[in-house]
Amino acid sequence: MSSAAMKADERKVLKKVFWRSLTLECSFNYEKMQALGFAYSMIPVINQFYKSEEERAAALTRHMALFNTTPHVSPFIMGIAASMEKQNAETGDVDPASINAIKVGLMGPMAGIGDSFFWGTFRVIAAGIAVQLAQQGSVMAPLVFLLLFNIPHFLVRYFGTFWGYSLGTKLLENVYESGMMTRISKMATMVGLMVVGAMTVSMINFSTPFVVNFGGAEVGLQGILDQILPGALPLGLTLFCYKQLQKGRKVNALLIGILIFGILGKYLGIL
Amino acid sequence: MMNALLIGLVNAIGYCDYLFGGIMINRPIVLAPLVGLVLGDLQTGVIIGGTLELVFMGVVAIGAATPPDTVTGSVLGTAFAIMTGSGPEIALALALPIAMLSQAIKIGIYLIRASLMPKAIKYAEEGNSKGMERIHWASFALLTVSMGVIAFVSILMGAEAMESFVNSIPTQVLEGMKSAAGLLPAVGFALLLKMMISKKMAIFYVLGFVLASYMQLPIMAVTLMGVVIAVIIEFVIGEGTPAGLNKSDEEVLFDE
Repeated sequence: MSSAAMKADERKVLKKVFWRSLTLECSFNYEKMQALGFAYSMIPVINQFYKSEEERAAALTRHMALFNTTPHVSPFIMGIAASMEKQNAETGDVDPASINAIKVGLMGPMAGIGDSFFWGTFRVIAAGIAVQLAQQGSVMAPLVFLLLFNIPHFLVRYFGTFWGYSLGTKLLENVYESGMMTRISKMATMVGLMVVGAMTVSMINFSTPFVVNFGGAEVGLQGILDQILPGALPLGLTLFCYKQLQKGRKVNALLIGILIFGILGKYLGIL
Repeated sequence: MMNALLIGLVNAIGYCDYLFGGIMINRPIVLAPLVGLVLGDLQTGVIIGGTLELVFMGVVAIGAATPPDTVTGSVLGTAFAIMTGSGPEIALALALPIAMLSQAIKIGIYLIRASLMPKAIKYAEEGNSKGMERIHWASFALLTVSMGVIAFVSILMGAEAMESFVNSIPTQVLEGMKSAAGLLPAVGFALLLKMMISKKMAIFYVLGFVLASYMQLPIMAVTLMGVVIAVIIEFVIGEGTPAGLNKSDEEVLFDE
């Protein structure tokens, strides 16, 4: 399905998603990260395709799950999610859990691509050129910087929305008939869990400068941990939080607890 | 007074980067010239902007991390430098501690926003999208207005007062907030696990962890390996007939 074959109402909804996607990080926070921004962007889709209050509420709740990716490439994922929501609204044969599974499966790789392109490439090139101009005192510097960065940014953002949607629709059309969807969402869960496992190591910043004294010989605790199980501390903390959540502990209690632990830990020299 | 208002406004504009999807109006190279413009010395603003951008080029918010806040840091640093008639060095010397201080404020605001999330989820469950939109915009206003006001008050208080205030905060509290910010994503990942994990699937979380910890593979590599492993499991090993595939022969023909 090419984007030209999209119906007028679909195009209109996707344009709204594109505009709303700009505000993805307006409500960024430590509990859900970009979840509310994602849900905010999906509101036009949900209102367009679902007719009953219950279905709308279920869809809104679904998109309040933690989400985090490079903002500039997020509309691509929104487009895919929109196509799945439409399919679900029309046929009802989409496993709603698979929509989140695909979102989570995609946010890692899209962040990988997005970070390296937008943070690592476009921004650095644009800043490099602009800083040179600024050092010569040219008032063009900020303008050149913004243009060099934002031309690729808005091309990717705008076409990403539509491309994600048609890709999602096309995949779903082929995939649904053959009952492949359960398999794909199972696969997405596998990939998603692996990405969360990897992010546990790379995105939680938890190490200790604590030194153990073995009868005069000083050994860094972190060094011992790294030899046995690198990333043991982030893993332990995540599993601890997971257990607490399962016990029904409130998320805010966890957040405040970690905050106090951070300040005390730094004070006592174990962080 | 007028200057303080204008600087407050410029600082608020810096945080409007979140409104436009990350167009980089929060970078020193854009903000310092704006500060120069409102203070009547565009040229110095541009030169300071170039200097600060070079220093802060590596300071970006990737993933869940909250780095030193370069927005308030560069806006106030540039403003104090221009107002006291000094150059980029002074701007930089002021920008660094201010950026760390305002990072702590920003972490606080992100925590306040986190405390609004249960409310947003409740609205979602009620199908109240208007309520969700209100929280979305209130969260944005909270950061933008707070930071605008902070810049406004800082200029009113003056450069000296600002410096001594920054120095009066125990570094251990600031450092502690910073280390806590590194730990906080654990809660988010725990929430994801609660959503996705099952007894059968837990092993894939362990696999991703091992790949990143022992083998130090980047997220991208882990993802690609994940895709390969998932395809192998589902299509090479578990090559059964997917449910519903042979409901009609036409589909099989179509596939060929």
